[in-house]
Amino acid sequence: MLPNLDRKLLRDLNRMKGQAVAVSLVMACGLAMLIMARSLIHSLESTRQEYYEAQRFAEAFAHLKRAPNSLAARVAEIPGVATAQAGVAVMVTLDLDGLDEPATGQVRSLPDFGQPELNRLFLRTGSWLSPGSRGEVLVSEAFAEANNLHPGDKLAMLLNGRRKEFRVTGIVLSPEIIFEARPGASLPDNRTYGTFWMPYKEIATAFDLYGAFNYLTLTLAPGAELRPVLAEVDRLLQPYGGRGAYGRADHPSHIRVSDEIRILQTLSIGFPAVFLSVAAFMVNAVLSRLLTLQREQIAILKAFGFTNRQIVFHYLKFAFVMVIGGAVVGAVGGVALGNKLVVMYHLFFRFPDLSFRLDRSALVMALAVGAGAAMVGVFSAVRRAAKLPPAEAMRPEPPANFRPALIERTGIGHLFSHSFRIAVRNLERRPAQALFTVAGLALATGILIIPNSFRDSVTELLGFQWDVVQRQDMNLGLVEPASIQVRDLLRQLPGVIAAEPFRGAAARIRFGHRSRQIGIIGTPADTQHSRVIDGKYREIVLPPEGLVVSTKLAEVLDVKVGDELTVEFLEGRRALRTVPLVGVCEDLTGIAAHMDLRALNRLLGEGDVINGASFTLDMAHRAEFLHALKKIPRVSWVGIKESLRENFRQTTAASINLIQSIYLVFAIVVAFGVVYNNARISLAERSRELATLRVIGFSEREVGAVLITELTILALIALPIGLLLGTGFAKGIVSAVNTETVRLPVIFTLHNYAFATMVVTVASAISALVVLRRLKELNLVSALKAPE
Amino acid sequence: MEPFTPKTSISDAGRKVFHVRGLTKVYGMGQAEVHALAGVDLDLHAGELVVLLGPSGSGKTTLLNNLGGLDVPTAGELRYRDFDLTCANETDLTRYRRDSVGFIFQFYNLIPSLTARENVALITEVARDPMPPEDALNMVNLGARLDHFPAQLSGGEQQRVAIARAIAKRPEVLLCDEPTGALDVRTGIVVLEALERANRDLGTLTVVITHNAVMAEMADRVIHLSDGRVLSEHRNAKRAAPSTLNW
Repeated sequence: MLPNLDRKLLRDLNRMKGQAVAVSLVMACGLAMLIMARSLIHSLESTRQEYYEAQRFAEAFAHLKRAPNSLAARVAEIPGVATAQAGVAVMVTLDLDGLDEPATGQVRSLPDFGQPELNRLFLRTGSWLSPGSRGEVLVSEAFAEANNLHPGDKLAMLLNGRRKEFRVTGIVLSPEIIFEARPGASLPDNRTYGTFWMPYKEIATAFDLYGAFNYLTLTLAPGAELRPVLAEVDRLLQPYGGRGAYGRADHPSHIRVSDEIRILQTLSIGFPAVFLSVAAFMVNAVLSRLLTLQREQIAILKAFGFTNRQIVFHYLKFAFVMVIGGAVVGAVGGVALGNKLVVMYHLFFRFPDLSFRLDRSALVMALAVGAGAAMVGVFSAVRRAAKLPPAEAMRPEPPANFRPALIERTGIGHLFSHSFRIAVRNLERRPAQALFTVAGLALATGILIIPNSFRDSVTELLGFQWDVVQRQDMNLGLVEPASIQVRDLLRQLPGVIAAEPFRGAAARIRFGHRSRQIGIIGTPADTQHSRVIDGKYREIVLPPEGLVVSTKLAEVLDVKVGDELTVEFLEGRRALRTVPLVGVCEDLTGIAAHMDLRALNRLLGEGDVINGASFTLDMAHRAEFLHALKKIPRVSWVGIKESLRENFRQTTAASINLIQSIYLVFAIVVAFGVVYNNARISLAERSRELATLRVIGFSEREVGAVLITELTILALIALPIGLLLGTGFAKGIVSAVNTETVRLPVIFTLHNYAFATMVVTVASAISALVVLRRLKELNLVSALKAPE
Repeated sequence: MEPFTPKTSISDAGRKVFHVRGLTKVYGMGQAEVHALAGVDLDLHAGELVVLLGPSGSGKTTLLNNLGGLDVPTAGELRYRDFDLTCANETDLTRYRRDSVGFIFQFYNLIPSLTARENVALITEVARDPMPPEDALNMVNLGARLDHFPAQLSGGEQQRVAIARAIAKRPEVLLCDEPTGALDVRTGIVVLEALERANRDLGTLTVVITHNAVMAEMADRVIHLSDGRVLSEHRNAKRAAPSTLNW
C-alpha cells in the first residue's frame, strides 16, 4: 500500500500539475537535445566505424600521374604499410538522356576478378560486374537516385574522348564516398556528378594506363605511424607525378562526417546546459512556493516525529517526479528528433544502413544531469524547510517587506501608475525569480535567432560566391591543358557572350613549416568572371607577378603581404619556385590562390596553355550551347551556376527548415513554460492581495493588468537580452562550423530579430492569458478571512 | 450603464439605502445543504451606524457579503436604492463595489507593496468623487505616516489605513467585518474612533459585524442574528463614544 506521505505527494502534484508539466517540458527540451545529439554522434561514429571495418577503408591515399604496377609492390614494402592497393581513377564526361547539361564523374578500377583488397563496395541492388566483362558499370547510389538509374539501364560516357555505352549492373556504395561531391566542391550535386566502377582492364586500356596505376590506397600495420609512411610514399611517387599522399584526416568524405560529429558535440553540451539551468530554477521556484504554502504541514509532520531526512526526501521526490517526467518526454523527443535528422543525413551521407542508434549512456546521463539540475534547484528551499523549528513553522510567514523600487528612487517615481509600482516593487523583492524568468524568455528569443541567421548567412554566402565573385554562367574544364587558342574555338559556341580562359595548377604552397595543397588559379589580370575580391567587396586587379591568396589560406600559412612563399607544382615539370605574396582576397568557400594567367604559365614553364574556361551566356541559347558542348570530347567537366545554386538552396533549405522547426518548438515551450510558471506562482502567492483588489472594486481586467505589467516588464528586459544572446549563439555556432571548406559570414537581419521577438511575445501572451483565466476563480469571500 | 443613484449627503440622513426581504442563502445541495441565511428582513438607512451581533455561524458574514455584492442570495429581495443586487451581473457588481461600498476587513488586506498613501490613492484614482488620499489619512490620524509600507506599520495603523482607503472614495456604505478582531483594546478603540468619525462626518451608512457585545453601545441600532434569522433588534437612545467602551 502506498505510504500516506506518498499519497500526499501524488495529491499535491495533481494540484500543481500545470506547473510540474511546464518544468518537465523545459527540462525535456534540454534532455531531448542531449539525447538526440549524443545518439547521433553514436550513430554516425559507430556506423562509420563498422562500415570502414567491413569494407576495409584505406588509411592513406595518393593520386599520381602514372606509375608502373611494379611500384605498388615497393610501396607495400615500406615499413608500417600493411596493404597497398593500386588502381586507376579518372575523370569522365557523361552523356545522360534527359539531362541537357553535361555531367561528369570519376571512374575507378576494380580488379578484373574478385573483390578489391581495400575500399570494398557494398552492393545495394543489382549484381556485381560479371568476371572479365566489358561494357558493364557499377554506379554510386547517390548519382543513381538523382538520375533515376536502375540495374539494366544504359549509360553513355566519354572515355578519353571516345563515346561508349555501358550497362548498369548494380548500384553500390563505397566507404570512400560517404559524402560524395565533385573534388573541391563544398556541397554535393548528385545529378551532375557521380562515381563509377569498371574492370581495371577496360578503364586502364581506354586511358592508356594498362600496366600502370594513378591512384594508390593503403592501410597501416597495427601501431604504425602515419606521418613517416606518407613521407616515404611521397618520396617513392614523386618521380611518377605524385600529388602528395594524405591520411583519413584529409580525406574529403571522412572530413565531412567528422565535421558533423564535431558540430553535434558542441550542440550536445551548450544547449542542454542552458535549458537545464532554466528548468532547475523553475523547480526551485515551484518548490519554494510549495514549501511556503506547507509551512504548517511541515511543522505538524515534525511535531509528530518525522525526521528532517524524511521531510527533505519527501520534497525532493516532487523534483524527481518532474525530472523523470522530463527525462521520459526528453527521451521520446530526442529519439523522434534523432530519427528525423538521420533521414536528413541521407541527403549528404551514404551508408549501407544509417539508422538512429540510441546512446543508452546518454539516457543515464540525461537522467543524472536532470536530477542534478533539480537538486541544485531545490536544495536551498528544502534545507530551509527542514531547518525550521516546528513552533516557528506553525506561525504564518511574517508580512513581506517592501520598499520603493530602484527606478522610483531616481526621483521620477511620481510618473508611475500604481500597478506599475506594485509590479516593479514585487520584481525587486524577488530578483532571482525575475532573473530566471528573464533568462528563460531570453533563451527562447535567442535560440530563434540561430536558424534564421544561418539561413541569411547561407544566402549571403551564395550571393557573394555566385554574384560578386563568379559572374560567369558556366565553367568547363578540359581533359588536358591545351593551347590558349582553344579559347577562340570556345568563343564560337552558340550563345556565348564572353569567354575567359583559366589555368588551374595543383601545387603545394609552403611557408616555414606550414603548407597546404591547393589548385592555383591563373586568370587574365582583368578577369570579369572569377573575380578576385577583397574584404570590402572591391575588385583586386592581379599584379603581373606574385600570388594573391584568400584570407583563410593566409591565416593557415601565417603569411602576410611581402612574404616569399615556396610553391611546389605537383604536375607538369614539377617546378619548385619562390613566389612573393602580393595580396590577400576574400573567399568564403575553400582556400584559394590566384595568379595572373601569364605569370602562372611562366612559372610552370609550359608556354601559353589553359585547362578550362568560363562563359557568360545568352540564356536563350543555353540548350544549343550545352548540346554543342556535349560533342566536344576534350571537355572533362562542366559546372552550371544556376543548377549548382538551386541544388545548394534546396539541400540547405531542407536542413535549415528542419532545424528551425525544432528550435521553434523549443522556444515556444520555454517561453510558454517560463511565463506560465511565473504567472501561476504570482497568482498563488498574491491571491489574497488580488482578491482584495477585486473586493474593493477593481475589475478582473484591472487586477489582471497588475500581473501583466510585471510580465511585460520582464519581457521588455528579456527580449533585447535574448536578441543579443541569439546573436552570440549564432556567432559562436558559425565560428564552430567555419572550416577551411566553408566560412559562413555572420548575418543578422531585422526580419530575423522581428520574427524571434514576435514568436516569444505571442507565446508569452497566450501563456499569461491561460493563467489569467484563473482570476475568475479567485475566491473573493476568502479575502475577508484570516490569512492562509 | 449607470445603476447607482447619486452620492449620499448628510441631508439624505434617514433615507432607506438597503431593502432586504426574505433573504435566503443556501450553500451546498441535498444532505449537505446549509441555510446560512434563512429569511432575513431588514431596512438600513443612510447615516446609520448599525452593529450586527451574533455567534459564529449566525449568518453575519454571509449577510455582509450579500450586502457588499460579493455573493448573491439564493432567494428573497435585496435592493440597494433602486439597484437589484439579486440579479446583477459581475460587471455591475464590480461597479457597485467600486462606487458605493467601502470594505474593512479583520486582517486589513492592504497591498503590501504600496505605501499607506498609495494604498489609498489606488482607490481614489478610480473613484468618481474621492477626497485627496492625504485628507482620508488625516481623518484617521495617520497624516504622519503617509509613506510607510504596511510592514512598517502596527496592526492598528494598518487597520486605520484600511479605513482611510474605504472612506476616501466617499462611499455610501461602509461594511466592516470584525474590524477590531485582531487588535488589542487600546488600539481597537482608536480604530473604532476613526470609524465613528467617518460615519458622523461623512454620513455614511456603516455596518459593523462583531461578536463583541460591548461595541453595540456605539451603534444607532443593534441587530442580533441567530441561525440565519434576525433574532432581535433595538435602537440605542444615545450612541456611546468609542473611548468610553471597555472590553
